Amino acid sequence: MLLFRSEETVARWCVARGIPRRPMINLSQLWDLATTWYENRLTVESRRPGPDEMVKIFARIGLEGPFWDPKSDQWQSAA
Amino acid sequence: MSATPDPSMKMDFDTSVKLNIYDAIARTTRAPTSAEVAAALSASTEEVEAAFERLHQKRLLVPEPGDPSRIRMAPPFSGVETPFRVKVQDKVYYANCAWDALGIPAALHENAIVEAADGYSGEPMTLEVRNGRPAPQPCAIHFAVPAARWWDDIIYT
Repeated sequence: MLLFRSEETVARWCVARGIPRRPMINLSQLWDLATTWYENRLTVESRRPGPDEMVKIFARIGLEGPFWDPKSDQWQSAA
Repeated sequence: MSATPDPSMKMDFDTSVKLNIYDAIARTTRAPTSAEVAAALSASTEEVEAAFERLHQKRLLVPEPGDPSRIRMAPPFSGVETPFRVKVQDKVYYANCAWDALGIPAALHENAIVEAADGYSGEPMTLEVRNGRPAPQPCAIHFAVPAARWWDDIIYT
């Protein structure tokens, strides 16, 4: 995932690459993801969330739907 | 900032390898080779490279494509230079993506300055994490790949 100055530059990037505009998140949501995934990464207990946990984590910060579901079968031909 | 394990805890080999990798990166900013991890753990490079592959299967590590002795990603850290440069105290780390760029201060529990660029224009952008949260900054993070496909090509994702 890439960082952009604004939604406008996201739209320009998608047009230039010829790809559809997909979901965007804000800095607060990004920090929530970063801390949830990594705050214990340097410890013995750390592990990556499983697919069902990921769905719950995403939903907690407002990211819902098949795009955020690691088990979704809607994206067989997606890039 | 250290990933040094508690010596009173008995760990499986893969966990020892994982912690050694993170400890080395946190200290030096550089991902260790399989030979360096093997020397630190008194193991063979073959044993360590097999552990690299098992950690890859668990989506905790990405060996360098075509070279199982090197680490491309130990998320959130990158084993190679990337457009996401993360300054923590006097050290410079590289992250794999925007998510991981904030993941480095989250993992190290440190303040950080992230130097990156707008994905379209290349214009420099800076994010700051201070006292456990990012400083407000107008920006957008775009996910081009759905979650179900992230690990099809994690280096692209």
